[in-house]
Amino acid sequence: MTLITSKVCVVGDFAVGKTSVVERFVNNQFSEKYLTTIGVKVDTKEIDLPLRHVTQKLIIWDVAGSDHFGDSEISYLRGSAGFIFVVDGTRPQTLKTARSLRRQIEAKYDRRPSVMLANKKDLTNAWEISADQIESLADDYDAVYRTSAKTGDDIETALIRLADLIVGRELHE
Amino acid sequence: MNDLDKLKELLFGAEKQALESITRRVEHREVRTADVADILPEAIHRSHKKSAELVESLRPPVGECMQQEFHHDPQTYSDALYPVIGPAIRKSIMHALRNFSQQINEAVEQSLTFRGLRWRIQASRAGVPLGEFLLQKNLLYRVEQAYLISRENGLLVGHAHHEAAKIKDSDAVSAMFTAIQDFVQESFSPDRTGRLESADMGEFTLWAVHGPHALLVCVIRGVPPRALRSELSAILERIHFRYGDSIRSYSGDTSTVPDVASELDKCLQFEARQQDDQVKRGVPTPLLVLLLLAGAALVYFVATRWLQSQELARLMTELEQTAGVYVADGYRDDGKIVLSGMRDPLAPTIAEIAAAAGVPSDAVEARLRPFQSLEPEIVIQRVRKLFGESDKIEIELVGSRAIVSGPSTIELQKRVRDSLPLIAGVDAIEYRLPAVDRVARIRELLGPPSTIAVTAVPDGVALMGSAPLSWIESAVTRTANAELGFYVDLNALVAADPGTLQDRLAEFSGVAFRFSSGTTFAEGAESLLNDYAVRLRSLIDETGNAGSDIRITLTGSTDSSGDPAVNATLAKQRAAAAAGILTTVGIDPASIVYAENISDDDDESHADPDRRRVTIELELMDSATTR
Repeated sequence: MTLITSKVCVVGDFAVGKTSVVERFVNNQFSEKYLTTIGVKVDTKEIDLPLRHVTQKLIIWDVAGSDHFGDSEISYLRGSAGFIFVVDGTRPQTLKTARSLRRQIEAKYDRRPSVMLANKKDLTNAWEISADQIESLADDYDAVYRTSAKTGDDIETALIRLADLIVGRELHE
Repeated sequence: MNDLDKLKELLFGAEKQALESITRRVEHREVRTADVADILPEAIHRSHKKSAELVESLRPPVGECMQQEFHHDPQTYSDALYPVIGPAIRKSIMHALRNFSQQINEAVEQSLTFRGLRWRIQASRAGVPLGEFLLQKNLLYRVEQAYLISRENGLLVGHAHHEAAKIKDSDAVSAMFTAIQDFVQESFSPDRTGRLESADMGEFTLWAVHGPHALLVCVIRGVPPRALRSELSAILERIHFRYGDSIRSYSGDTSTVPDVASELDKCLQFEARQQDDQVKRGVPTPLLVLLLLAGAALVYFVATRWLQSQELARLMTELEQTAGVYVADGYRDDGKIVLSGMRDPLAPTIAEIAAAAGVPSDAVEARLRPFQSLEPEIVIQRVRKLFGESDKIEIELVGSRAIVSGPSTIELQKRVRDSLPLIAGVDAIEYRLPAVDRVARIRELLGPPSTIAVTAVPDGVALMGSAPLSWIESAVTRTANAELGFYVDLNALVAADPGTLQDRLAEFSGVAFRFSSGTTFAEGAESLLNDYAVRLRSLIDETGNAGSDIRITLTGSTDSSGDPAVNATLAKQRAAAAAGILTTVGIDPASIVYAENISDDDDESHADPDRRRVTIELELMDSATTR
């Protein structure tokens, strides 16, 4: 198995669950306690992609939540091989923020594989993003998932999909 | 040649010749080769002086050439390298040994001081081996880790670290360092020209060396010299030269940067602290103390072993010289001397033998079985025991015959004779009594009459004088049966002449035997009377054979104290008591007459021991007259 290391960045509005998504993916843990991320937090996780004969080590940059990237935040995204956009399914406003952040990134860097996680799927009563809205995202992102960091639903699937997209692109290049 | 050509010749003639000359040089391979050969040494020299790129460029083809040549013709190269390899190996071994010795010296020195103890505790708390801790303490600096980080994406291109360095997830460290770098740059250098180049954290210093495509971050323990930064920069330059394109487009595939770790290994430099010359010159004091202690321990060990062997030898010699003890084996075990063998119960105890040899008795463990020794000293002791261990008895052993000197009674000799079969080592006992004792012994055995003189002669006793024939015959028989152990000469005895009977009677007559009180004889008197009775009996027998008879008058006496009537009765009783003894030996009671002799002293209170007696008077009579 070939080992490939890739940098991916997790971006999104405040309190959409970016750190929880990473924590669930890396350590398979979840905490109800909210701790805001300052600057950036780095974690790593290895994923085996047997069909591609590759072990992908993801260096996950969990960038502090923001509705607009400052110079410092945008520099964190430099050289990222892929992006994980996270939105809060109970707050439709976070979709707009995600779109705004995506534009900022694409203005600064080349387009890279990206997945969209509509998070907090477990809060069904408070869910406010419609199926149409989610479908409309398909053009902007390589894949869209309704996830829950609390239950772990589709978190790993989404990250493996992103890893596969990155490796596919690397091999294609 | 037309006009145009002429014009060309005029205008460019010289250039044309030069061009043709250049063209010839370029087209002719040999000329070109000669030109290159001409400038090649200088070109190589200049290029090498200018940068390290030439070396890097030559390394792959030269390496490949050498590899092929070594493979193709190993013998030639091994012959060529032979003079080099031997000294190189020796030098390497010497170097390694010197380092090892120095490390041991330093470790011993440090571990035997209070400071060393403190460091030991600190090392334990830090969770590193003492050796590593001491090394860290003695280092001026050491580059513990080197990270080669892509400037583009913060991915780790390569990582090298010292074996003892504690490594976290190096990819995460690399990413986080990049983030911090970006953060610092954005926060404190708005024009983005500033760069984070060093950071201090406790005993570590972080140095970042920036290249066009990669960042070399070194984690350094201690205080690095400024020159180190230049060396690190050179290494980074070399890496850029070798892997420039790969690093620029690095996307996490390590196979695109082969052997980058070996380049990074060159960053792991260190420098030891200079030791104080004063301390270095002499032998370290703790080591000296250690050596002295070891020497003292060795001397003590050798001396103890020598003393112990001497002790064992002394004891074995003493045991060998001691009668009644046989030791088959003697050895040391667990600090004790263990003896196995046999010991006669009459021999000295092991404690006594050990004391004589100057060995503490509690240091000896004897495993001895009892046995009966036939050694003369022990046999003599065994015989002496039969005589009640008397000091007056002297025993000598000749073969299996014990020769006993000293006083002994007939009963004792009989008892010894009965026990003889039970005494190992002795078949017979011979008595050798002193002259005085020999005479006494004969007197006791034979009770010779007063006409017989008993005298000691060398090794025996001689009897001289006259005696009745029957007595002489009896004496011969009794001496033969008595096992006296000495020679008795009876040859000088002559049979008594009857004409002298009157004289002998006179000797026996008038003898007195005292009483202490009542009818109790004074001390020894009864024994004397018994003796007297035996001899008197012999005389009477003799007299009878000669046709004569003897009248015995027993006169009982008392002192004047007490009632005269009682005294008269007591006098009779005393005479009767003496008569009782005489008749016991076979003297005819009819030949005895009684008389009293009461003191006529008027003083009744006068006690006179001399008057408490029986007097015996003898008178020779014709038989017919008497009857």
